[in-house]
Amino acid sequence: MTDSELKGAVLPALKKPGGAVRDFLRLAMEKELADAVILPMKVPSGDSFAWILMNDISLLDDAVPIAATMPVQGAKALRSLTRKGPGNLKIIAVMRPCEIRAAMELSKLGQVHPENLILATYDCPGAVQLQKYVDDPAGSEEYFAGMLQKGKPDDSAKPVCHTCENFSMFDSDIHFGYLGLSEKEVLVIPGSEKGSALLEGLGLDLTKDLQAWEKGIDQLKADKLNSRKSTFEETKAQLNGFNGLLSVFANCIGCHNCQSACPICYCRLCYFDSETAEQDPDALITAAEKRGGISLPVDRIMFHTGRMAHMSLSCVSCGQCSDACPVSIPVADVFSYVADQTQRTFEYTAGRNDGDPLPLRQFRKAELPGVHELVKDADAEVPSHE
Amino acid sequence: MSEWQPKILAILCNWCSYAGADLAGVSRMQYPPNIRVVRVPCSGRVDPLFIMKSLQSGFDGVLVSGCHPGDCHYISGNYVARRKFAVLKPLLEFIGIEPNRVQFSWISAGEGERFATVVTKITEDVRKLGPSTRLVKKL
Repeated sequence: MTDSELKGAVLPALKKPGGAVRDFLRLAMEKELADAVILPMKVPSGDSFAWILMNDISLLDDAVPIAATMPVQGAKALRSLTRKGPGNLKIIAVMRPCEIRAAMELSKLGQVHPENLILATYDCPGAVQLQKYVDDPAGSEEYFAGMLQKGKPDDSAKPVCHTCENFSMFDSDIHFGYLGLSEKEVLVIPGSEKGSALLEGLGLDLTKDLQAWEKGIDQLKADKLNSRKSTFEETKAQLNGFNGLLSVFANCIGCHNCQSACPICYCRLCYFDSETAEQDPDALITAAEKRGGISLPVDRIMFHTGRMAHMSLSCVSCGQCSDACPVSIPVADVFSYVADQTQRTFEYTAGRNDGDPLPLRQFRKAELPGVHELVKDADAEVPSHE
Repeated sequence: MSEWQPKILAILCNWCSYAGADLAGVSRMQYPPNIRVVRVPCSGRVDPLFIMKSLQSGFDGVLVSGCHPGDCHYISGNYVARRKFAVLKPLLEFIGIEPNRVQFSWISAGEGERFATVVTKITEDVRKLGPSTRLVKKL
């Protein structure tokens, strides 16, 4: 996953990984290498977290860098700050890898401008399901402490966390690693020039080699890939054919919460919320006459399949859609499976930050021979027209 | 009632396939009258939703036709269209729509004969499959 030549700096972690992250950020703000940071903070009622953009160092003490659950996808917070341009403030954002990946997808869509952001990730053990957290914050904190110790999700975590293969460093500027290490230390690893410059400015020497950490990650990754495979098989069997899809989404109440919680669905007016999506009453009556009956309101399946066609290439499998569903449809399991298939078509991984444009913004002259029955010229590759 | 006739939506690019259809007409070529034509500025304009929606509203088949690779009026719209269809096609098959119901082809403005052949082929393919039942609104 990473070059073995890569090295990291060690932070003392007397207060668990979250504490080490907080100390790091305090140092960065004190040395004026960052103007502000974005971190989750507990809401006053104590049963959820909110993203707080803070430039006051004293606020750091109340922040929870590694929060147990993710109520709002971090990419949405970053979009709200930078959708019109990068801005002048240098901001460090500490988020889960899936949140940073969603932000990268949004940056390819022109919705996030990461130029002045320093995106930091950590070894994510998974996130507790939002409803579980709201119902029992104290118990959930205990579950999460256990997850953090083992580095992997338990039953209280979102189902997609169990199949997440990108739970660690993934194209972020800096990464906080603790897996496979002793409890006394947290690694800070630069992932970009921006990240390296920050560590240099802070006077942190990259002395520690990463073998132990990489070993920890690779082991966990292997486990996760196995569970990914078997879970996808199950999802595939469950969704088999149109009737399978119908039964999974049968109790959808059409609230579109999954879409508004989705970090990728940024469109101001979704087609499915528009007037055009409304069916003509006469057409419905004709259909009902023909078939003996129809379910109303219509287009609940169309909404989900349409969303799949529109955003599955950028889906980062963060699981926010499942958390947002009031009738417990496993939306994220379905989307994660579909996204895996569609992204595989173009050998694309959503959230990758390698200058590769979105799959639908590039093409090769000779590709996908099965789509049209006639593909005549097999010229060399041409670059994207962007 | 007379024998069932397939209803096929043909979404044609203004710069090539639509002109190809015209050429087939002025050349008095014969092809089945089962298509309903919608003209689009480019096959890249076709949102996967258009196809799903037309199947849902009762069309038995959909033909999308654009310019040959390298001939796109807007340089690359047809390549992008191909990528979109590559995503849509497995999705349609997954939900039980037979592959032959939705077809994509390249037809240039000069290929009136090819237009007639393609329309004949998709009409026969869809006729064999019978009326579309998937995605059509039901209980």
